[in-house]
Amino acid sequence: MSDSKSWTDQWFKAQQQFVDAWSDMARAGDARRQVPQTELWSDGFEAWRKAVGGESRPDVREALEKCFDMGREYFSMAERIGRNLADGKEPRAAIHQWMEQLKQGLQQWSNLSGFDSVATGDFMKQWFAPSKAWQQMASQMAPMQQALWQLPGMNTSVFNLGEAIDPLGRILEAPGIGYFREPQEKQQRGVQLALEYHEANIKFNQAFLRIAIESIEGFQQRLLQIDSEAMPKTLRELYDLWVEVSETHYAEFAMSEEYQALYGDMVNRLMVLKKHYHDIIDDQLRLMNMPNSREVDTMQQRIQQLRRDNIAMKKELAEIRALLGKRGAAKAAKPAARSAPAPKSAAEPAPAATANAGAPAVKRAVAKKAAAKKAATKKPAAAKTKSAATRSKTGA
Amino acid sequence: MSNIPFRSDELVNELVQFNQNLSKGVKNLLETEEITSGVTPREEVYAEDKLKLYRYQPSTGVVQGKTPLLIVYALVNRPYMTDIQENRSTIRSLLDHGQDVYLIDWGYPDRADKYLTLDDYINGYIDRCVDVIRERHGVKKVNILGICQGGVFSLCYSTLHQDKVRNLVTMVTPVDCKTPDNMLSHWVQQMDIDAIVDAMGNLPGEMLNWTFLNLKPFQLMGQKYVSMVDIISDEKNVKNFMRMEKWIFDSPDQAGEAFRQFIKDFFQQNKLVEGGLEIGGHAVDLKNLKVPVLNIYAEQDHLVPPDASRALKKLVGSKDYTELSFPGGHIGIYVSGKAQKTVPPAIADWLKKRS
Repeated sequence: MSDSKSWTDQWFKAQQQFVDAWSDMARAGDARRQVPQTELWSDGFEAWRKAVGGESRPDVREALEKCFDMGREYFSMAERIGRNLADGKEPRAAIHQWMEQLKQGLQQWSNLSGFDSVATGDFMKQWFAPSKAWQQMASQMAPMQQALWQLPGMNTSVFNLGEAIDPLGRILEAPGIGYFREPQEKQQRGVQLALEYHEANIKFNQAFLRIAIESIEGFQQRLLQIDSEAMPKTLRELYDLWVEVSETHYAEFAMSEEYQALYGDMVNRLMVLKKHYHDIIDDQLRLMNMPNSREVDTMQQRIQQLRRDNIAMKKELAEIRALLGKRGAAKAAKPAARSAPAPKSAAEPAPAATANAGAPAVKRAVAKKAAAKKAATKKPAAAKTKSAATRSKTGA
Repeated sequence: MSNIPFRSDELVNELVQFNQNLSKGVKNLLETEEITSGVTPREEVYAEDKLKLYRYQPSTGVVQGKTPLLIVYALVNRPYMTDIQENRSTIRSLLDHGQDVYLIDWGYPDRADKYLTLDDYINGYIDRCVDVIRERHGVKKVNILGICQGGVFSLCYSTLHQDKVRNLVTMVTPVDCKTPDNMLSHWVQQMDIDAIVDAMGNLPGEMLNWTFLNLKPFQLMGQKYVSMVDIISDEKNVKNFMRMEKWIFDSPDQAGEAFRQFIKDFFQQNKLVEGGLEIGGHAVDLKNLKVPVLNIYAEQDHLVPPDASRALKKLVGSKDYTELSFPGGHIGIYVSGKAQKTVPPAIADWLKKRS
């Protein structure tokens, strides 16, 4: 490894190139924009992101965001290792120190109020992409639980339930009285369900935190075990190895009974919570004489069944018409047939009409047999009922 | 521990190179034209609700087989994966190899479709599409190619309607949903599907995206974008990358009732293997499936592990069963250059011998 001064010079030079390249681009894109020049490459990404991505198409902007996000993480990794190298450490020691720094950083995460509050450029943030994405999705699905956590005095840690129980405890313990007893109890139940979901979410996040720390240890072990041929020689190779090790640790965790239980519990509790508030809103709409989702569901169910019945009847009508048409054709063809019989192949039935063919072949055969049997025992009405039942079962 | 051969000057050069690629790539990204989906010309021949049945235009000079081929895609994601770009189109390749190709596009279900069941999809929509094709061609039977979840639907359909199916091809189709390496299945075992459907109505596509990306989060949410920087200085690569991005995040919602039944019957109770599957009141037992079957799976499939597909061999009643293994992944089997050269020709060849 070269000496500290040489590293600092190279680093400074490279950063200058970075700033120049992006400034040129920003000027080319929009000369009016002022792009602040920052010292750190990873921080600089924020500025360039705003400068070049602001007015692009949504799909392009999304891809750009992801590239910038990952670029920033990648640069932060280089910066950390680079600084350790600049302190005069050997590469092995520099990487080891970087991993220790990551581990220490993670241990401080337990009091974070949200994934967005993780320091910009914190490399281990990638471990919490699933949790962060889940939280964003959950808050869209059940915004009421998100609102609850904005109440004064609430602990908003994503890893630690902490004092959240205390303020909620007071809400939950208030006795329901008088005319508004029932709605109050429903609201209390909602708060209870929100608390249960939050607890399940925190347990899920805590497990990720634990596995993330373990993955760093796994990475250190891997570097110890790896032979010199396979040892990463570039930053990219080091990053790819980190991805491989992290993915392996994650996969082991994701395939564990623990993950299955934590994930299942978190999803189920969110759904119960969502349904509870859904029902509360439905009740409110009913009181306002407005259509609610229960009523819409009932109508949809009825319409769907009507559509199935309609299709089945259309198909039946088409079959009857085809049958009548054949009979008519056969009658008309009879005198001619006497003089010149049609070849056997022409008598083969044509493919079914466009309307739904209805009962599957296996079932139709069974229905035919049953009908024949009943006809033989002179119970045509019963055979007809059976056939109709079979048809309605096809649902099409 | 071996020494890590890092050098500070190389580290800096690497970052400079990365930065240069990124800045060039951003320019290309910003200049990328809007991505269109599907490349092969086609005509709509039937529509019902949100479903559209397309027939693809054959290449000039190619003699087409007499038995048309219907592609039944999954409800998850969009079917243009099979026709994603000019030189990466399974459909184009099938056409070039003499297949007369139809495809069901399920569209984007919304709240009005919440009560669609698997019976509606399989004995309803698919059956009516098959009838449309049979009538257009004046044939009694068609060939069916089912993809992923569409493969499961095709297995059920072909078992119940064998009088209309000449040959069945299944691609990356989950049959045994409880193989030990099936992460998707592992995740849903303790999920209360009734609670999900009752709360959500339809299952949002965003939730499916979250699930699929989390099968390999470091690769799919991180490494992919770092590696992208290596290739985006080339405009063509940028366009191809954006096409795949569009497809990955283009996830229709899932009709609630169909989703409820699919996850419970196939993923939680594994009924194709364990038995007891019923679609619209009709028992589906793969032992009754007698039509010729070509089962294609991908060796590195992280969504449908090979064993999940290979399980079909022991379950199917057909005496004419063939397996084809592809050395790639769940998506690569449609879009990789290697797949283009091998998979569609193999399908066409297998079908020609049996049509």
